[in-house]
Amino acid sequence: MSLLSVRNLVIDYPRTRALDGADLTLEQGESLGLVGESGSGKSTLGSAVGRLLPTSARRTDGEVLVAGEPVFELPAARLRHLRRRHLGFVFQDPIASLDPTMRVGAQLRLVLGRDGDVRFHLGRVRLDDPRVLRAYPHQLSGGMAQRVAIAMAMATSPELLVADEPTAALDSQVREEVSNVVFSLAAEAGTGILWLSHDLPAVARRCDRVAVMYGGRVVESGPARRVLGDPAHPYTAALAGSAPAAAPHGVRLHPVPGRPPVLEGPAAGCAFAPRCPFAEERCEHERPVPVRVREQDVLCHRAGELEGRLSQGDAVSEVKA
Amino acid sequence: MRLLMWWSGRALSSAATLLGVSVLIFAAVRLMPGGFAETVLGPFATAEQKAELAARYGLDQAVFLQYGHWLSAVAGGDFGVSMISRQPVGAELLARLPVTAELTVLAVLASVLAGVPLGVLTAVRARPEGGGAAGRLLSGLGVSVPEFVLGSLVVFVFSRYALGLKVGSWVPLTQDPAANLATMILPAAVLSVFSISVTARTTRDAVMGVLVEPYVTAAVGRGESPWFIVRHHILRNAATPVVTLIGTTTAYLLGGALIVEHVFNLPGVGSYIVQAVGRRDYAVVQAGVLLAAGVFIVMNVLIDLLVGMLDPRLGVMAGRRS
Repeated sequence: MSLLSVRNLVIDYPRTRALDGADLTLEQGESLGLVGESGSGKSTLGSAVGRLLPTSARRTDGEVLVAGEPVFELPAARLRHLRRRHLGFVFQDPIASLDPTMRVGAQLRLVLGRDGDVRFHLGRVRLDDPRVLRAYPHQLSGGMAQRVAIAMAMATSPELLVADEPTAALDSQVREEVSNVVFSLAAEAGTGILWLSHDLPAVARRCDRVAVMYGGRVVESGPARRVLGDPAHPYTAALAGSAPAAAPHGVRLHPVPGRPPVLEGPAAGCAFAPRCPFAEERCEHERPVPVRVREQDVLCHRAGELEGRLSQGDAVSEVKA
Repeated sequence: MRLLMWWSGRALSSAATLLGVSVLIFAAVRLMPGGFAETVLGPFATAEQKAELAARYGLDQAVFLQYGHWLSAVAGGDFGVSMISRQPVGAELLARLPVTAELTVLAVLASVLAGVPLGVLTAVRARPEGGGAAGRLLSGLGVSVPEFVLGSLVVFVFSRYALGLKVGSWVPLTQDPAANLATMILPAAVLSVFSISVTARTTRDAVMGVLVEPYVTAAVGRGESPWFIVRHHILRNAATPVVTLIGTTTAYLLGGALIVEHVFNLPGVGSYIVQAVGRRDYAVVQAGVLLAAGVFIVMNVLIDLLVGMLDPRLGVMAGRRS
């Protein structure tokens, strides 16, 4: 049984569709990088894992299983138990995710309970300065606040940690340190990580597997090095080609042409078709189903025939032509 | 040091505000149509009679001289003598203050004890597809019905069907607390309808604003129960606007007490001032309004202090790193 299994998940907001049939699996102790442009549905998928969606969100279809438990069907008490025992969350804005009216020490004690060792848990995230305990969140730096949030999320040694761009608001030096803390703590505790990120090189370096999202679906997933190094979906190829670190020095970056879609209902065909250099007629009308290409699961009608033609340079030159 | 600076700043600005209020009220009282002499002597008095009366009370002097005399007396704690009853205003106000204070405290208690839980409950239960129309209607009604309408209605109903509550026969608190409460509960209820509605609505808005904060989502993600989250994270964070509102409402309730005391015939500050305005009893009106302004200013300082204690980002000591 997988630790996390998302099947055909559809999430609707009052005027937009955030997830349009997303599939995802994550095994015990595995780290999975979830990448995609803003608006691709990453955060919605991350929040859906703990049923932490805003009240305006509706689950129209599909299911989420965490340790075999259907998250959206659980009664309130069992859902709380699942969150407490199995899940941990870290968010993008570290200072906002701490209560502004409570000293850090008090918040940690509230989370850890009477027997919790506050110093020990702060030490685990390499925060040794005792002044942190007396400080209010707004007096901390972003990096310090995120360490506190990580200490809280990891205090119960959850089986799955959902980290929604936890380093996006930090500067690059701190970013590395905070990522190190998360991945080493998780490895120690055997915690699986769902790591939502824009940072492809970091994901390639740190995660076992990668899932690429586009238009509310996971369009490609597989081993990190394979997906990012030898993509099977045209969108992954374009995304990898636009990552700053992917290009040699002095070479112009190629942004993915066009705009990401805003869905109001189910996409008729492949959501990437309007921007795809390889799109053909059926891509517009027929929803792709997952196919296996090498070690990847891919949502593309032409995944098979495009094998070998999708090195990053080719995709870009086809776009230009 | 910082604290000392803050206090001296507040004291200075409060004094300036009071001084401004004293000028305004002094002028306003004298701008009211129909002067003191006309009101006391009636429409058929001769000019000589009026002049004689005005001279007796010093009303023939230049206005700024009158103001100067009054201000220096007030600064020394002397609010003058009522021109109708010839009694010292200060002593009379002091004797009547407990009634108004009790009425106001009861009404504030009611708004906190009823308004805050109502607001929290409706916010936590709120659903995105709307609803809450009944609550909005009720609170809208509560805000818009004037005290004299509701008060008169209550007096009418309860003077017919007593239900163990008394209307119009006030008993001092020190004499018989139970009987006193029985006479105060209706006026306090009438007075508190407005503030309960406003408190409930403000609390609801504040709580709904806090509910979408990331730290609440984080607490939900940690598996905390709704009431644990309300108690530890929501109440304090939503408190700022509610405390501010209750503070200003307290001062506002003094104004409402004016009417309620009149309707229920309670011997408080309010009915004293209402009578004084009718008779152009300048000293009483001036002292009463100055008192209300003083309460307003003190309440505002208290609010600022309390809000600073509730939210460290807004406090007197904010900005200092610990």
